[in-house]
Amino acid sequence: MRLVFSMIGKRITQLLIMFLLLSFITFVLMKLTPGDPVRTILNVEDVSTTTAQEELIKQQYGFDRPILIQYGEWLSNVVQLDLGESIIAKQPVLQLIINRLPASVALTIGGLVALLVIAVPFSVLAAIYENKWPDYLCRGVAIIGASIPSFWLGLLLIFFFSLQLNLLPVMGRGTLAHYILPSVTLGMAMAPVYIKLLREQLIDILQSSYIESAIARGIPRWRILLFHAIRGSLIPLVTMFGLSIGSLLGGITVIEMLFSWPGMGELIVNAVTQRDYPLIQGYIIVVGSLVVFINLLVDLITMLINPQIMQEARRAQ
Amino acid sequence: MKKTIYKITAIILFIFLIGCEDANDLSEDIDQENKSLTLLFSFPSSTIDPHQDWMGVRAGIAETLVKIDQDLSIQPWLAENWEQEDEQTWRFTLREGLTFHDDTPVDGNAVKASFERLLEVNDAMANNLKIESIEADGRDILFVTSESYPTFVSELVHTNTSIIKVDTENINEQPIGTGPFQVVDFTTESKIELERYEDYWDGVALIDKVTVQFNSDGNVRGLALQSGEADIAYHLPPETLAPIEQRDDLRVESVSSLRVHFLLYNMKSSPLQDQNVRQALDLLIDRQIIADEIMAGHATVANGPFHPDFSFSNDGAPESYDPEQAESLLKQAGYQKNADGQLEKDNEVLQLTLATYQGRPELPQMAQYLQAEASKLGIEINIVTVENVDAYLWEQQTEWDLVTYSMLSAPRGDGGYFLNVAFSPDGSLNPGDIYIEDVNALITQLNQTSTIEERIQLQKQMVDIIQEEVPQSYIVYPHIIVGVNNRVKNWTPGSEEYYLITNELDLE
Repeated sequence: MRLVFSMIGKRITQLLIMFLLLSFITFVLMKLTPGDPVRTILNVEDVSTTTAQEELIKQQYGFDRPILIQYGEWLSNVVQLDLGESIIAKQPVLQLIINRLPASVALTIGGLVALLVIAVPFSVLAAIYENKWPDYLCRGVAIIGASIPSFWLGLLLIFFFSLQLNLLPVMGRGTLAHYILPSVTLGMAMAPVYIKLLREQLIDILQSSYIESAIARGIPRWRILLFHAIRGSLIPLVTMFGLSIGSLLGGITVIEMLFSWPGMGELIVNAVTQRDYPLIQGYIIVVGSLVVFINLLVDLITMLINPQIMQEARRAQ
Repeated sequence: MKKTIYKITAIILFIFLIGCEDANDLSEDIDQENKSLTLLFSFPSSTIDPHQDWMGVRAGIAETLVKIDQDLSIQPWLAENWEQEDEQTWRFTLREGLTFHDDTPVDGNAVKASFERLLEVNDAMANNLKIESIEADGRDILFVTSESYPTFVSELVHTNTSIIKVDTENINEQPIGTGPFQVVDFTTESKIELERYEDYWDGVALIDKVTVQFNSDGNVRGLALQSGEADIAYHLPPETLAPIEQRDDLRVESVSSLRVHFLLYNMKSSPLQDQNVRQALDLLIDRQIIADEIMAGHATVANGPFHPDFSFSNDGAPESYDPEQAESLLKQAGYQKNADGQLEKDNEVLQLTLATYQGRPELPQMAQYLQAEASKLGIEINIVTVENVDAYLWEQQTEWDLVTYSMLSAPRGDGGYFLNVAFSPDGSLNPGDIYIEDVNALITQLNQTSTIEERIQLQKQMVDIIQEEVPQSYIVYPHIIVGVNNRVKNWTPGSEEYYLITNELDLE
């Protein structure tokens, strides 16, 4: 148990350093890219404004001050657990994000379920029939899957399942049916990497001595596969998931926008185009914590399901 | 073990079946007893606070004191009438019997409170309305502006000036207005559910429920209309229209918008300071080809900055395509072809940088078209595609010579806005430093003139000068393309895009 606590402690220190670096880099990059929120605040495309008024707003909001001072001000608020207010929406950043977070998390979970449903059968098939036609077929599917952009895949799924077959709703969130298309799109976008990884794991395990002895003992093949091989191959999968959670939360944006999913996608895309600095920074902090938290969780889980790691860690101490 | 596998398979199948059943329910919500309609819009709203977002008026939740009608002229709405007492003072009288959705009456004080909140939460409107004080007396409201402001009434067409109840919580999600529909539920950036307000002052709505959904992907909007999930789908890309046009139960509406696509010339660029060169480029634009090919027929050729239906727009025909005339103008400007076939003057080749942006996909295509036309005459155009066009135009004023641009030129029934921002030396949409002395004098005069007839005359005069001096080349007025299910009745899209959901909208 002491081991677990020391690990968590180490992680929190890492987290703080990472946040400091991450927030500073994004802040500076944001300020260096052309454009600022002034024209959006003044709604220039719609009501009469002059360049003098733009200057005035720039001063009012403090966008004309040195970047370091602006960053320092933001940081001192964050230390007091205040992520500030969105410049455009005039609402607390934390609230804007928290309102949309559950939908994004729900879709991520849906995507993971879809991923397992897609990746496990394909990789098992490929592993059992290694270098035979089912294997080539599965690998081919994986390559095609990896090269299709997710927005196009989503459109295809909508076309077939909503328009041609009229089975599933085009967009929105509400019933279980609404989860299917966005989850499958997300799952299929991630599946190729997992199929490849799982296939290789399974091939290794199927050739290992304990599987051979199981076969020798006359245990049915499906039983070996389900209770010995797949189980053993899940450990690297969990690690892999921890690593890909960041890109997953990023990739979900496109899918959310395609399916009108009320997650964080639209919010963050607008924040970036409108240069809503506090909102972008807030998003990075929240999503960053989420990624770190999930990775910590993944490490703990791997420790629990793989006693070897725990033993090695003990020995190291 | 086999049993477990069967169980798992059964559960998965069961979940899928539940899902399918739900979907069928959704697509069959055509209920005669309970008329409900779904409108699908392109720009997702993160708030529906009418003081900050346009959906308040668009979805029929809130209303403004005045509105513009189909002919784009200003009409009374919540205000019964109004008069200008002096250059800075306006008196509005509200209609009788107005109530908010919670049945509280709307009087002068409620309107005053609504405007006070607007000025507090919306910097742009506070800037634009120039209100110094507001007084309420019964059904009367007296506005005093900080300076002479002849277009004050037309500015009140802006949807952000909606009258809403302010002493209520959660205006971002549950605003209380006076419109034919009240908010039941709002999911940010996803959908608004509305039901009709039974005591609406202008006659109760003909349908019971409306859902406004948002989707920023044009292809998905087209598919949702075809699947029956949406009854009205806004802003469809031209390439999605073919399957919709083939269907008997769907139709496509295409109306000219208040937007104009144009070329903006940089007066700091030395070749473009010559009017002959600007005119030559103007003559190289075949507006009909652009409307037919690039805009797929969903555009009207432009004859000036303003929509032809406005009384202050240009009366003349659009400039015609005439490369020969363009060539002779360039000759007049002193350009000669060199050995490489390029136009040259004082040993300098005529090279222009044309900026464009992807935000409106047709603009880069127009840029390419102009590039091809110009190269036939020996003008070299380099196209630069930028991400944030305004930042580029303002921060790199010496880098570009011309730019494809697009804007709403008269969003509230008066051209004063566009003329001020695009042609005043300190205008926020004048990155090319356009300065035409006559136009500038007329702008000053316009800003002091309140009589409508005089304003129209002044604006026409300015448009004439602009057409002659060519500081900008107006190309097309793009259309608003809307897909509609034929069961929708009493509804056509308006050019203004303000009043989408009305009490008259009906379903078969």
